[in-house]
Amino acid sequence: MALDPRAMLARMLLMRRFEETVIHVARAHKLGRQHLAIGNEAIGAAALTQLRDGDLIYTTHRNHGHMIARGVDPGKALAEILGREGGLCGGKGGTWHMTDPALGFQSTSAMVGGSVGLSVGGAFALKHRKTGGVAVALFGDGALDEGIAYEALNIASLYSLPVLFLCENNSKEGEAQTSRLATKELTAVPAALKIAFASVDGGDVEACHAAVEAALAHVRGGNGPYFLEAQLVRWPGSHQIVHEFTTGETDVSAAWDQAKASNEHAEWQRTDPVLRAARALIARGVLAREDVLTLDAEANARMAAARAFAEASPLPKPDAALAGVFV
Amino acid sequence: MPTKSFAVAMIDALAYSLKSDPNVVVIGAHSFLSDRGLKPEDERALWDAFPDRLIDPPTSEGVTTSLVTGAAMAGMRPFLNYGTATFAYEAFNQIMSEAANVAAMSNGQLRAPLTLHMYAGIRGGGAAQHSSSPQAMYANAAGIELVLPASPADAQGLLRSAILSSNPTVVITHTKLLAMTGDVPDGDHRVPFGKARIAREGRDVTIVATSLMVREALRAAETLAADGIEAEVVDPRTIVPLDSDAICRSVQKTGRLVTVDEGNALCSIGSEIAALVAERAFDALKGPILRVARPPVPVAFSPPLEAHITPNADKIAAAAKKALA
Repeated sequence: MALDPRAMLARMLLMRRFEETVIHVARAHKLGRQHLAIGNEAIGAAALTQLRDGDLIYTTHRNHGHMIARGVDPGKALAEILGREGGLCGGKGGTWHMTDPALGFQSTSAMVGGSVGLSVGGAFALKHRKTGGVAVALFGDGALDEGIAYEALNIASLYSLPVLFLCENNSKEGEAQTSRLATKELTAVPAALKIAFASVDGGDVEACHAAVEAALAHVRGGNGPYFLEAQLVRWPGSHQIVHEFTTGETDVSAAWDQAKASNEHAEWQRTDPVLRAARALIARGVLAREDVLTLDAEANARMAAARAFAEASPLPKPDAALAGVFV
Repeated sequence: MPTKSFAVAMIDALAYSLKSDPNVVVIGAHSFLSDRGLKPEDERALWDAFPDRLIDPPTSEGVTTSLVTGAAMAGMRPFLNYGTATFAYEAFNQIMSEAANVAAMSNGQLRAPLTLHMYAGIRGGGAAQHSSSPQAMYANAAGIELVLPASPADAQGLLRSAILSSNPTVVITHTKLLAMTGDVPDGDHRVPFGKARIAREGRDVTIVATSLMVREALRAAETLAADGIEAEVVDPRTIVPLDSDAICRSVQKTGRLVTVDEGNALCSIGSEIAALVAERAFDALKGPILRVARPPVPVAFSPPLEAHITPNADKIAAAAKKALA
């Protein structure tokens, strides 16, 4: 699928503004814990915008970015995070288990490695039913600490299943180390199981787009599974237990304004996938600064409307807790 | 009405399911089909008829459970046979956290019509790791239907209904039931969930038993009848959903209740039925409810040790007499 740079940046900005809105909403409503996808915008937008009707998506506790990247209604997603009746799952799933089957999302597992396991089931069904669709497992590097991931990779390779294993590696030595593997090379795992693989700079949206395009072509071509590792730069606010809004709201003008890009978060602003994408497009003359500001204003306006919708949505009626366990 | 073994009745349910729906697949086919009393030519015919739908997976209970869950969400009706029930503990997270929660977490947008089958119970010499009775744990999952067939007819009819169900369903077969023979209605026999079977009518004491313990309860009832005690044996057949009305109706008639469960007595199926009757039919009770179950210890290997903790007809009859004393 050809890359539309403007649409891609717009989607990344919406992902970023969504998560920033979640931070504000969580504070205002004293919500518990969410796992934010700030810093994951490039790979998320590059991957999810290339999927088709009939493809199946398996994501994790860190699913907000995937939802928005795929085009899920941000108001309904935010309402779900608030536990509201108008949420994607009527408040049953919350931040951990958002899903939107109309857009291909299946059960969203907050069990580490859960999405990897479920994805091979989707791929099995797609292959058996000869639909031509692919399954996509989205997971972090921590999933490779779990046994289920190895079982899933093995069976996917063994049965040549149409599944893209997309690993968002956001581990960082020290406090933010999210996986403890005996190998430093995550791709040694798929290599050992005869699965085609690649690694990509997860902060470079164009590189991500090309890598996902190649990976999907491999899987759609009936060549079996593919493992793509997106090496992410971890957002400084992301901690193991809670997030901190240390970097503040993203100021897109830091993409070109050196004064703004030289504060204590200069390193983050240099590597921030959203700012990187804006910087690259401006440098190449694809977009003007004003275009970036306009796209950002549009994202902010959408999120303001989404927040208004979510906060206006009523809490579910208590007896809804008893319904829907069995079909 | 043809007579067949419990094992062959289950295979027949699977065969009807495979023939009627191309979305049915059997994962773990070999241990379900082979050496189960099927005629060799019939077994060969099954393998030949469904070469892509009878599958022997790697020894990976976790991912085979994820696989059937993912495939079920994506439109298939998979049947997964674990073999011995303890092997399913390798997949406990996938059963309890993934399959059980699909419908509820998605607010009914997704469903997982899958069947998980396992061989359980004290089989004789199985020792601690091959003698488990995990039924109460699955009943506790909230989101899993739990089926415990006790006769060939119910084995075929309940398994067929499990595969047709739109929910995740655990079917537990006591290993000692596989060779039991009995009449099974002709054709594509189905037994609905949530309908108890009165295995024997009686007026003096209600014995609620499941799986192999139904057979033991019926044997106990014979002994009791010789002493002039008429026991009513109730087989709930499915624990989730539970036919609580039938159980309470029986106790209202007899005024006495003995529950029988081969599982660990602590928080067992028997405990639940005792609690149900205490809540809903207390006024009908003429004496204390008694539970016959395995003591809360792992099953030991040596025959006298195993026998000491295994519920049987004698223990059930003794409990019934105590309930009537």
